[in-house]
Amino acid sequence: MSNTETELKRLIVDTLALEDIDAADIDSSAPLFNGGLGLDSIDALELGVAIRKQYQVKIDAEQDDVAQIFSSVAALAQFIDSARS
Amino acid sequence: MAYPFIIRRWSAWAPGLQTQDDWQQFAAGRKPPDHQPPPPLQYTPKPLQRRLSPLAKAAMFVVEQCLTPGEPMPAVFSSSHGEIGKCLDMLNDLQRGEELSPTAFSLSVHNAIAGLFSIAYANRCEINCVAPGAGGLGPGLIEALGLLHAGHGEVLLVYYDEVLPDFFPATGFAASLPFPCAAALRLALTGPGLALAFSPTSSTRQDGEQPLQLPAFIEFLAADQSELHLGNGGRGWQWQKL
Repeated sequence: MSNTETELKRLIVDTLALEDIDAADIDSSAPLFNGGLGLDSIDALELGVAIRKQYQVKIDAEQDDVAQIFSSVAALAQFIDSARS
Repeated sequence: MAYPFIIRRWSAWAPGLQTQDDWQQFAAGRKPPDHQPPPPLQYTPKPLQRRLSPLAKAAMFVVEQCLTPGEPMPAVFSSSHGEIGKCLDMLNDLQRGEELSPTAFSLSVHNAIAGLFSIAYANRCEINCVAPGAGGLGPGLIEALGLLHAGHGEVLLVYYDEVLPDFFPATGFAASLPFPCAAALRLALTGPGLALAFSPTSSTRQDGEQPLQLPAFIEFLAADQSELHLGNGGRGWQWQKL
């Protein structure tokens, strides 16, 4: 598991106040939305803001395949790592 | 003109005051509010709970004592200031040039708690949100009585207010209590329960706005007291136990 994935799991738990979920218990390949953690569209916006703050990476709904980027922690980490390199 | 009505069930919460017994002791001067967190919620789904402010949790707690999910019921929510602390936080964020939290922004309107209630309870009945200003407890109750007289069998009335942040001027105003407070009343025109008569009056009393009137009203419900008069800004309200 990449460092970004580990950081992201903590960011998701803290940003979205998922009090009952341990960051380590989040499966990198599990769907974040539609099942999995059961997040919704407001959560996606909130995560977008947190990712901009923490990584200076902007997810552009016009340009990027948002559904694919937010499909799992692994996909999100991959997008952030490639945007920063 | 007196308007009779029935309180089928009621519940009130302030820090450390959770049961009707607690409020009786509070009315008798034996139990001041302390610094307890809001109690855990029973019916509100977890994904919604994480978005609730402490005040929203208090409001949902009193609702949960009066209503079970799936019971369709029109509702009136009355709050002097709503979740004004959250709005102030966002204005401070904007001033610091920070991005607003979409979650905080989406729940920053005066009817946010009422909206969360309608989702948690799958309640499709009408809901009115009142900001009663100087009117105190009266406008919310008048709205609820209006719904009953329009033909609804029962109406849920929810009062809630938080402590005004220090940022707002307190001098010359009687608009805030030192502790948050919420109460829910399940009202009807007939049937079993606590029978009351409500009369709007003119009044020279200066009991302050809703946050200050609410504990007095809860004490009246909990204690062995037959009448309550409250007034503010020239408008008065009178409740009588029948």
